[in-house]
Amino acid sequence: MTILHIDGAQATPADPLVTLRLTAGQLAMIDTPNPEHATMLADLCTGLLPLANGAVRFLGRDWTGLPHEHVAAMRGRIGRIFGGTGGWIGFIDVETAVLLPRLHHTRRPAGLLRDEAAALARRFGLPGLPLERPNRVSAADLSRAACVRAFLGEPLLLVLESPARGQLDDLLPPLLDVLTAALDRGAAAVWLAPGDRVWRDASIPVTYRYRLREQGLVPMRLRS
Amino acid sequence: MTGNRIPSVLAGIGRPVSRKSRFLARLAAQAFGVIREAPRPGNWRRTVRYEFARSLRHSVAGGLSPTLIAAALVGLALVGQALFWLGTAGQANLVGPILVAVLVREIAPLVVGFLLLGRTGSVILAEIGAVRLAGQVEVLEAQGIDPFLILVLPRAVATAVAGFTLGMMFVLAALLSGFAAGSALGQVPKSLAMFLDTVVSAMRPVDFALFPIKMLSIGLLVSLVCSLTALSASQEDELGDLMARGFTGGVLVIMITSVVLSLAA
Repeated sequence: MTILHIDGAQATPADPLVTLRLTAGQLAMIDTPNPEHATMLADLCTGLLPLANGAVRFLGRDWTGLPHEHVAAMRGRIGRIFGGTGGWIGFIDVETAVLLPRLHHTRRPAGLLRDEAAALARRFGLPGLPLERPNRVSAADLSRAACVRAFLGEPLLLVLESPARGQLDDLLPPLLDVLTAALDRGAAAVWLAPGDRVWRDASIPVTYRYRLREQGLVPMRLRS
Repeated sequence: MTGNRIPSVLAGIGRPVSRKSRFLARLAAQAFGVIREAPRPGNWRRTVRYEFARSLRHSVAGGLSPTLIAAALVGLALVGQALFWLGTAGQANLVGPILVAVLVREIAPLVVGFLLLGRTGSVILAEIGAVRLAGQVEVLEAQGIDPFLILVLPRAVATAVAGFTLGMMFVLAALLSGFAAGSALGQVPKSLAMFLDTVVSAMRPVDFALFPIKMLSIGLLVSLVCSLTALSASQEDELGDLMARGFTGGVLVIMITSVVLSLAA
């Protein structure tokens, strides 16, 4: 099943032209030296950008032209780790922010979601979900909480914008465990890595390896 | 030279007019959106309900004591004096119509509106303004959460409900404190029940509709002006600019709503 199909899409004529197809269980590792391009690509995957050219389909449906409610529901099937400041809303505590998409898109009891999130948080090295507002939580704990938010609720597509920033050694092993389980379950993932270290890491179960250049996605292979 | 100046003068006049017109059009659209979307049960997901409950708690519970204090002061100053002077002048039969015309129709909506603006509107501006300035509106959209549903709708409905609730509390507290003051001055010949009956009897049928409509409209518009000011912010804006713009807009909208609805009645 094709989960994500970016078909010659670009947000503006000046942006790179992107073509990418991911089926269930596939992971694309994309080196994005320019953080703006990483965000642009992540937004492209989630149908947030109006397109100058091409099309982006998620689960076979083109993002453009769908009713607003359908678009919102489809985005509810995507788990995303945000770049930049991490996508934390200042007046919402971290626990609520982690649960927010699941609480909004599902009818699962809040207690069950909280238990599931707490179990995921422990896998990522947190004792539980922080109850404070984001500005009172350390950057390291916010990175861990961002992973919990992205993987909570078994999303079908994972868009990971520079996950494990600044604490690769601590976060990479649990992140790979949870990611591998998600891929085995039938999810697809786009990992946007702004540096060589993760991009070249052979322990990550990568299906496609690309570098994002001005002309678009350039397929690459690791030298053995 | 003069030929060059005329277009720039016209542009100087037209730019703010155009900006204000755009804002008013968006305000009308948001108000229409709230009125259309609020009755739809599907829009009240639990995340929206949580925000509604949080906003309502903040507006009503947080605004209750300032409202009661303001009402007590207005009661002492206005109701007490009306009772005293009208009683002294032998015009006690005018107490009811005067209190309805001044307190219920005009003062209560204005004072409660200003209290809502200061207490709830400023929080709406700060919260949504911070979300907007940090680019987090897009984060909500990326998670499939409509910013209108989670940020605007629950706050607008909660503030409208708070406007009506606090308005009722204000009128009741002002009448009670005024009655107490009038009693202390020895100019209240009737019991409290008779005094309240005098006021209620002086209300015309239209007043029973006008008061709730005014309070709900003022609450709704205070919230929408603040939300819209925050959501219209550009990256160059700072929170202080938004607070100033929102406060000015809020004061204007409270006064205009009150006057227009009074004239319409």
